Order: sequence, then C-alpha cells, then structure tokens
Amino acid sequence: MTTAVALSDPVLDELRAILGEEGVLPNLSARYNRTRVPSPFPVHRWADYVPDVVVLPRTAEQVSAVVKLANRYRIPVVPRAGGTGLADGAVPLRRGIIVDVKLMNRIHDIDLVDRTVTVGPGINMLKLNEELRKYGVIYPDDPASYPCSLVGGRIGTSGWSLIGGRYGHTRDLVISMQWVLPNGEIVEIGDGGGRKIRKSSTGYSLKHLFMGSQGTLGICTEATLELVPRPEVEFSPFFAYPDFQTAYESTGALTKSGLATLAGVVLFDEWKLRYLRRDDEAYIPQPDNVRAVVATAMYGTKDEVTPAAKRLMKIARETGGNYLGDEISQGDWAARHDRYATPLHGRLRNGQVVPMSWHCEDAALNYSVLPQVRLEWHAIAEKYIDRYGVFDDWGMFFYTNAAHKPWGDYLVEIDIGIWEQKLNDENWAAWVQCKREITEVTLKYGGSITACHGSTREGDAEYVPAEMGGGFEVMKAIKRSLDPNNIMNPGKNELDRAYEDGGFAAGEG
Amino acid sequence: MVGFRLSAQKPPEARRINDDVIMRFDHVYEVAPEKMQIFPQQDIPAWDTLRIVASRWDHLDWMHAHWADSILSVEELEAEEP
Amino acid sequence: MSAPPYDPMRDGDLQKEFTDQWSNAAYGCFSSGHKFCREVCPVMQVTRNENHTPTAFHANVVAMEQGNLTIADVAEDYIHCTQCGACELRCPNTLFTGDFYRNRTQTVKLVKAMRALAVDSGIEQPGWKRWVEATVDRKNEPVIEVPIEQEHVADWAQGLNLPIGGETIMFVDCEAAFYRTSVARSTAEVLLQAGLHFGLMREQWCCGGPSAEMGYRDHARAFAEHNVADWRAVGAKKIIAIDPHDYIAFTEDYPSYFGDDYDFEILYITELVAELIREGRLTFSQPIERVVTYHDPCRLNKRKGIHQSPRDILRAIPGVTFKDVDHVTQWSYCSGAGAGLGIERPEITAEISRRRVARAAELEVDTLVSACVWSERPLSKAGAEQGLDVMDLMELVAQACGLDGHGVGDMRVPARAALADAGPVQHGLAHAAALHEEAAQAGDDGRMAR
Repeated sequence: MTTAVALSDPVLDELRAILGEEGVLPNLSARYNRTRVPSPFPVHRWADYVPDVVVLPRTAEQVSAVVKLANRYRIPVVPRAGGTGLADGAVPLRRGIIVDVKLMNRIHDIDLVDRTVTVGPGINMLKLNEELRKYGVIYPDDPASYPCSLVGGRIGTSGWSLIGGRYGHTRDLVISMQWVLPNGEIVEIGDGGGRKIRKSSTGYSLKHLFMGSQGTLGICTEATLELVPRPEVEFSPFFAYPDFQTAYESTGALTKSGLATLAGVVLFDEWKLRYLRRDDEAYIPQPDNVRAVVATAMYGTKDEVTPAAKRLMKIARETGGNYLGDEISQGDWAARHDRYATPLHGRLRNGQVVPMSWHCEDAALNYSVLPQVRLEWHAIAEKYIDRYGVFDDWGMFFYTNAAHKPWGDYLVEIDIGIWEQKLNDENWAAWVQCKREITEVTLKYGGSITACHGSTREGDAEYVPAEMGGGFEVMKAIKRSLDPNNIMNPGKNELDRAYEDGGFAAGEG
Repeated sequence: MVGFRLSAQKPPEARRINDDVIMRFDHVYEVAPEKMQIFPQQDIPAWDTLRIVASRWDHLDWMHAHWADSILSVEELEAEEP
Repeated sequence: MSAPPYDPMRDGDLQKEFTDQWSNAAYGCFSSGHKFCREVCPVMQVTRNENHTPTAFHANVVAMEQGNLTIADVAEDYIHCTQCGACELRCPNTLFTGDFYRNRTQTVKLVKAMRALAVDSGIEQPGWKRWVEATVDRKNEPVIEVPIEQEHVADWAQGLNLPIGGETIMFVDCEAAFYRTSVARSTAEVLLQAGLHFGLMREQWCCGGPSAEMGYRDHARAFAEHNVADWRAVGAKKIIAIDPHDYIAFTEDYPSYFGDDYDFEILYITELVAELIREGRLTFSQPIERVVTYHDPCRLNKRKGIHQSPRDILRAIPGVTFKDVDHVTQWSYCSGAGAGLGIERPEITAEISRRRVARAAELEVDTLVSACVWSERPLSKAGAEQGLDVMDLMELVAQACGLDGHGVGDMRVPARAALADAGPVQHGLAHAAALHEEAAQAGDDGRMAR
C-alpha cells in the first residue's frame, strides 16, 4: 500500500505548495465524503475506500503539478467532479489523491458566432444553461442528473442524454478538451486539431479515446461545448398500452419514423408500471389495463414540431397507444430531467417501505433482443429477491440510444433497489453475483455492458476484456504507454492487466 | 386573514384509495401508514404538505420553461386545422 | 454557560443517542446520494467544497454510527450552512415523494441538531459562543454597538403611541429594533394607517431562533418561554411577525416547545399587508419611481412557500417598475445572512450577497427589495459596492403610503439613494456607522448579521 507515503508530511507540504493551504484537505470528513457515488456501495466497508487526501485545484497547471508529483511518489490519483455517477468511476479503489474539480467551474468563453462555449469541468449543465438563456442558446446535455452532475463527469463517463436522439450525447456535444495526461502534460484533445472544429480527419480521433476514459487516462481541465438554438417548442406525449408487446412494437414504429425533431422515446415495462403505481401521482390512478407506457419528446422550432407532432400522434395511435393526457405527459416529462430514484421506493416482499439505494443497469442492446433480455433480467432479480430479502425489482426502461438516428439500439435499464442498512459481506457478494448474471445476459445477446455509466464497478469490470475482445489488447497498450506508473484511477476496467508482465502498479508497490 | 395556527396543522382524516395508498388532502396521495412500520413517518404539519405539493408543480413548470419557450399540448395540437 | 471540554468517552454516549435518532434520516439521504441539493446551496456555490453539502451532512451521521467519524471531526463543517432550506426542498425525497411518504429531508433540523451535539460535547465556535452569551446577557442579539438593552427595545416606536399588550402584538426582530429601525417604524406606520390595532410586548426578548440555529437549545428555549409568557400575560392572541426568522421560530420552534398549548395565531407581515391592499384598507398616495427586483428571503420562499404576497404588494405600488425573477430560480439565491454564517464566516456571507446583488444588477434595476431585515445588512453592503439600493418591502410600502418611515435611532450605513432623500442625518447615526465599519473591519467579532 502507498498510504503511508501519501500521507507523509513532505507530500502534503508539496501539495500545499502547489495548491495553497486551502486547496489541500487531509481531514477525515473531507476524505470520507469523497469516497462513494450514488450507485450501490458496500457501506459496511466504507473505510476500505477512503482516499488519503483531497485536493481542490483551480487551474490546469495545478492539476498538472499534482499528477507529476503523484508520478514521482507513485500515488494513485482519482478525479472527481459531481460524484453523481451510477457506476463507480469516482470511487478510489487504492486510496491516493482525490482531485476534486468543483472549483474549476468558470465559463471561459461564449462564442455566439461559431456557437461554442468553453467551460471548466466543474460546472453543472443547468447552471450553465441559466447563464446561456439570455443568449437564446442552450447546451443540450440532459441526463437524469441534469441539475447536479458536472461537465467533467459527463466527459469521464461519456454520458447519455435524454434528448440525445435530437441533439446528440456528451461525446457529440463536446467539441474539444484541455487534458492533463497521466504524465502531467497539458494537451489539447479534439476530433483532430482546432479547438472549435467538430469534424476532422487529421491524425487519430483522440477525442473519442479520452471520452469515457473514467479517469484512467488523465483529467479533463477545460471543455469546449456545442451550443444549439434554445427550443421554441417542447412536445412530450405519453401513451398507454395494454401489454408490453404492443408497446414494444409501437416503440419500434415511433423510433423508425425518421422525424428529425424526435429527441427521445422511452418504453416502460409492466414491472416499471407496477413500481410507479406504488407512489407516483401520475400512475396511481391509472386503470389496470395500463400495463406499459411509451414516453416521447420532441424539441425544435414551432414550424418543425407542429407537423411532426401530428405524425407522431398518428403513429402512436395506429400502433395501439392511448394518449395519457396533457397533465400527466407534461408533468412526468418535466420530472425526467431530474429523475434519480429516491430510497423510499423500496419495498420488502411484505409491502413494508424501506430505504434502498439504486442500481441502474444501463446496457446497450439492439431493438430485436429487448423482449428476451427483459424476461431473463427480471428472472435473475426475482431469484435474488427471494433468496436474500434485501433487493427489490423496480422495473425496466428502454431508451432510444443513438444520436440523431434513434431507431437501432437502446439504453436498457433495469432498476434494482438494495437495502443498504442491511448490507454485510454476504449480501454484498450476492449483489455482485446478481450483477454478473445480468451482465452475462447482455453479452449473450450481443450487447454492451454500459451505454453511459461506465464499466468500472464490480460485476461489470470483470467482463470488459470479454466484451472488448481483441480491442482490450489495444486498451492495455494505450494505458501502459500513457500511464506507465498506473497512477490514474488504478484498478478500474481491469486495466491492471496492462502491467501484469512486469509493470509497476501504484497501490501495490 | 387566517395566519398560522398549530391547531389547524393536523392533516384531515384519511380515506382509502387502494391497499397501499390513502388520501388526506384532495389530489394528494399518501402511502398507507401501515406500510411504514420499519421506516417511520414524520409529523408533517398541513402547511408543509401543501408547500411540498405546490413546490413540486412550480418546479415542474419551471423545468418546462427552462427547456423551451413554450409547451405544445395535444389539446392545442388537435384544435388546429389539419 | 461554557460547556465542559470535549470528552470522547462521555460524548460517545451523546453521539450514540444522536446517531440512533438520525440514522434513518441519514440513510434516507445516503441511500440516494443524488446531490440535487448541491447546486442550489448558496454556501456550496461559493466554497464548492463537498464537505459543505447536505449530502455530506447526512453521510457523516452514517460514518459516525460506524465509528469512523466523531463530532470532533465534523463539527466545523456544519458551520457552512445558512439554514435557507433550499437543499431540503430541492431534494427529490422532499419534492417528489415527501408528501407521499410523510417523510421528507430535514437538513435544517439535522444541522441544528449536529450543532447542538457539538455544543453539548464542548465543541463551540468562538463567534457563536460570544454572540449567544451577549444575547443571554442583554436579552436581545448584539446586533451592533448600540445600547442593546431592554429599555431601548422599543425606541424605534418613539412618538407612535403604541400600546403595550392587547389582542394583537407586533414582534420586532432584534435587527429591526436596534439596527435597521426604519423597517420596524415603516411597518408600524403602515399598519396604523390601515387602521389596525396592535400593541408591543411588555418586555420583548430575542425570539431565540438564532440560539437554536447555532446549537444552544437551552437558551433558545428560555427566550421562547419568556416571550410566550409575556404574550399570555398581556392577553395576546395574534402575533405579527415582521421578519422571516421570527416567523420560523414562532411557527416551528415554539410549537415544538409548547405543543398543543401553543394557541396563538401567527401572521406574517407580507401576507397581512397584501390582504389589506386587496381589501382596500391600505391605499397608496405616492408613486415610487424606482425600477426594482425582489429578493425572495430564503425562510419565506424556500422554507414557508411564501412568495406570492410580496410580489402582489410590489405590483400594487404605483410608479414601480418590477422586474421579477421567479421564486423557483431564487431557490438557489440567498443573502448568506442566515444561521450565524455571517458571524463565523463573514467572507462567505459577503460573497453570497455580492453574487445576489450582481444578479439583480444584471436586470438593470436601481433597487433590490427584500422582505427580511437580516438579509438587508449584507445585501446593502454589496449593494453599496455595486451601486444598487437595498430596501425593505415595508420601507417601500410606507413611502408609497406617504409615511415617514424613518427609523428612530437607525444605525445602518445609509444606502446611496436613501442618503439623498433621507433629509438630515439622524442623531447618532454617524457615530454608529463608524462603529459598524470598525466592526466590519474586525471581521469576526460576532457583530455582523446572523
């Protein structure tokens, strides 16, 4: 372990020389509170994950100096932005230094001519859009954590946006980045060169390499983002169906419509409807024959959206959808911009309410396999609920997943509640095993483990080599080449394997 | 005007909506209290329940206005000429 | 009043009792961990330090329960809160499911409880300790170097001939009674003009809210007991609160102390005045040529849901151009003055106020109107720096009614335009202003706004 080195006075003194007294937090509460993220966490073993020190940089130069220092002392470095991730990207597995970028939240440049905004990684999208409103533009990256996640984390995970069908996802909306490499060098990363160039064929397309790298290849210190015209109109009808199969077929028809303003389509299955009927005022009063729901959303100018909306209504009705009404449609859609689960959704078999943390599976799967995956996932969840009594099946969502062409693949989400107060080694091991079985189904059907959260947690990470196949050898070569000392977020994505034939791994020295 | 009175803060009697849900205030669903044996409920005064409900709708309206200049409803859409 | 020094053995019991009480609430937050609170938190917007998030405030309870953290490790973190209530309202556990489960996030209550645990464990913050000691000594908060003594608590009412006692009592906050007295004076004159009958207390003490907010529960309770006894003694049935902090104390703290015996009706001044206007009992004679925006006081807007009546009043005043920012946007605004933050961390309060005033300035207004006298001190300071007047809504109403409203013994540094139209400087004002400046320069002397 490198703990002793990390906490030694010379290291802290050097960090203070870089960041100032206020930028270095060695106190226990600072470290405990930068250990976990919202995803299920083995709270009974919290102390095992606590980092050695937290730093709060304000500049790329400070980040660079910290990373260089970490290389000299071989101390693990884990970047942290909002800490709202639904995998464990920001959870330190080998202690070390947390580089918390929240103070890097400035808007550096708003360019209304070439339509970009350049920001620090610590800024939140809602806050950014409040500032952009007066200019009639918007940065349309819209996760369920929209009011609290930060741009740096969106890049670190390669996030997914609820309205990505129209506007693209984080990888499409980030034009270029300033990046501190694992050796501490500060570089500009884009599609090719050019800070504000969206499409380039020069050299390798490095933006996509670093997008979603989960802190394993360095730290984003600035990002130049896309600006789009603020939508004139939003249209978000929800439709009810008597069974999943009808709703599934209707989803297919809607997503293949080719309507350019279609920003997203979301299919809710029967388990999700039963779950929503527990406590959601929109669904409690629905008649029994509402067994599945499809939510849709369109954004754009009024002239575009109005005719497209008519077409969308026609398709939905012709494929069996019953419009749920303006109040529910509008109310529920507005709530989707900040739709993280709340703990009291949790139920025991006997109906008692208990606070549960939220596992949000986010596999990427093709349309054709959705019905079968759904049955197999629910069966797995059922088995573990029966056996352990601390889990709960919160149903499934199927979201259109591709940017600008939403017809082919889906972010497939099964939500599972976990009663954290009852976690112990046995229950935690059961949870990880449950997670593995879910992942195996994804891979069996030709899918990808994760559409947006990252493959960094136990139960996912073990399967990264299997999913990537020969590509995993390329990943290892890149990792070892850019991060020879394995200081950047070590232990994630099975990347320790890059060092197995003699490489030094920080945290194991 | 009527200001705050502690005696007015007790919620109205509940009526049953289904096995799991009751209603005390109009249009405000609540969990059936017997489901909260493990995780206790709080003594929430009437004003606070009403504040939360009003705030939720204010928030949702705000979120619509945050994302777009206007909301197109189906009612409005279908009132237009084809 | 000093508590015994921190003793991990003895305080282990206190801490155990605390974590037993707060464990479920802590897991209610910990198990979600979504942090929708973070970006609306006024302190967090300035410090960007995750230790100061409501998420951390709850998570610490879990870590304490596990034995990984103690009150000594976390006490200082809990200074960083204005108890504005944004976090607990914005939390999905409140906003989306709080009414359904009859269980909402209660960060303010938790912060107060954790501060109390710290005090009970002998871990005191020096500024708060001095402030509370002075309040206990003088029965009112040490708002500034002025004669904070019972005999002066109603100096602001000189010449108004207000009776002592009666069915309706106007309770005047310490800051309004001793510092920005124009708020008290304006309010009383407006109510008199509308024909309302009301009196003052025989002996008004601090409402006790600040002591409770800083963790001094016993003192808070003693103030409350005195005030309620005084109300009962003069036959009061209705209490008019002219400051949101008092309104919180009277509608949340006092009921928790006295239970069902607490049978007073509490009226908030903006609700009352809005109704007087609606009923035609209050009419305006003087157009106010100002371009204004309204600052939603946190305790009114976020904690009580009162945001409409102040806007109704502003829209009724002739001559005023009102550029509004909606109350939901203002969930993330604050003056930074609440819950003792300005005493222990004046630089954070000043920065929160500076940012609030800057947002107002962007609207190209000349006046920021508030309805919380405690917010008005730091906001006025920031306003003076940025060329913006800060007024209390009741000061504006009084002017529109053609009333004088000037505070007798007003101790604040007059705002730019207020200076121009205030006429002769009040006796003692210059001296008090100089003292205030000294206090401000001293920074942490416990005489800034709470």
